[in-house]
Amino acid sequence: MKAVYFKELQLNLKTFLIWSLAVGMMGLLCILLFQSMEGEMKGMADAFSNMGAFSDAFGMSTLSIATLTGYFATEVGTVHGLGSGMFSAILAIGILSKEEEVHTGEFLFSLPVSRTKVVAAKALCVATMLTCFTLLCALFYVIGFAALGEEIPTADFVKFMGMQLLMNFETAGICFLCSSLSGKNRMGMGIALALGFYFFDLIGRVVPDMKEALVIGPYSYANASEIFSGVETKAAAVVIALILMVIATVSAFAVYNRRDLAS
Amino acid sequence: MEKVIEISHLTKNYGKNRGVEDVSLTVEKGDIFGFLGPNGAGKSTTIRSMLGFLRFSEGSISILGLDSVRDHEEILKNVGYMPSEAWFYMSMKVEDAIRYAAKVRGVDCREEAEMLCERLKLDVKKRIRELSLGNRKKVSIVCAMQHKPKLFVFDEPTSGLDPLMQKIFFELIEEYVSKGTTCLLSTHVLSEVNRYCRHAAIMREGKLTLLDSPKIDDESFLKFYMD
Repeated sequence: MKAVYFKELQLNLKTFLIWSLAVGMMGLLCILLFQSMEGEMKGMADAFSNMGAFSDAFGMSTLSIATLTGYFATEVGTVHGLGSGMFSAILAIGILSKEEEVHTGEFLFSLPVSRTKVVAAKALCVATMLTCFTLLCALFYVIGFAALGEEIPTADFVKFMGMQLLMNFETAGICFLCSSLSGKNRMGMGIALALGFYFFDLIGRVVPDMKEALVIGPYSYANASEIFSGVETKAAAVVIALILMVIATVSAFAVYNRRDLAS
Repeated sequence: MEKVIEISHLTKNYGKNRGVEDVSLTVEKGDIFGFLGPNGAGKSTTIRSMLGFLRFSEGSISILGLDSVRDHEEILKNVGYMPSEAWFYMSMKVEDAIRYAAKVRGVDCREEAEMLCERLKLDVKKRIRELSLGNRKKVSIVCAMQHKPKLFVFDEPTSGLDPLMQKIFFELIEEYVSKGTTCLLSTHVLSEVNRYCRHAAIMREGKLTLLDSPKIDDESFLKFYMD
């Protein structure tokens, strides 16, 4: 199992580096742009905070984008949320199905390693990569705050990155299940799922009647504006996320163990 | 004689489509068993059921005295499989693919792998994506043989190999078999069966017919391919 795990890490290293550097550096660039935009931000902050439901949806009614924390929550929060969600989906939705898609399954599964161990090694690889992705991006953001000489709100920042990681795990869990069902890499479906989760959350915040349904979406507990403005995270949302993640992952093991593998 | 493969009343369907029906087969230790049949007859389905790629609906398969479902991992430790299409991770180098197979098996096969690569004239520094089908087949041969398994399962192994490599491949099989390995050889090439196999069977439309002798003439052989 160890050999399969390390091989998976090696095979996915390029994707990991591309996504983590792209998202992390985009976040860093956003932070560094703050100083040059600070003056204009003051005027914009008032306008953005009075746009009704849209201000609520993007958290601009509770946070001022004229402050670095508020700016980070609204801008970098969106970049990281979307980027990490898509990376999780792309990584997890192809990791099992690619063996059949590129016909390497017969080589791998003719070696003395059970399907359970292969699925476990691949799940562990996804978890490792998402954790490293979060840590690397966090490092970029911390560098950004330090470069501007601003103090980082540590507790909120750690909570934000932690909740984003949980959201990534949940998205990856669902996509991992999809991967176990199919012999083809459904990357498009993975991206659509991640974007769908994001827009579900966005619409849920704009449309008052949908507010109650928000807890089922992975982005509900990972919302940067809420976390940085001190809004308490709904425990139900986190519990639902954990349950969904566990069910999806366990189902992936069950499905993959039972089905025929395409040649 | 020790039974290495024992398939009993194997039935495998793909939904409403036929796979194999009531297949029973025994291969004894030290045999080179020819497995013939037209495309879609069920040879690969039988092999893939043996190796645990497919979940069969009825029957049982015992390999090296172990149950193919319950003892799947243990069986694969002693099996060298060569699929008809030899695919590997494209970004890997040949030497990495060979080393990876040995690593997953948890055995040091360096000496045997080196000998096999030399005999097969395989350039281990090349990347898999740079290889032709024939050269990918050679990598597959090394991966199947380097751990000196008790059973070879070869699915159309010679397609893509040049005549010299085919000769070397069969020489290798005979060397391993002389040391106690057993070989199940699925092929379309009658001459290979006539020349190297000690027993043979033909599959047609999911059903298996055991042949009295592997030495059959072209006409009788082709009858199995006709409606």
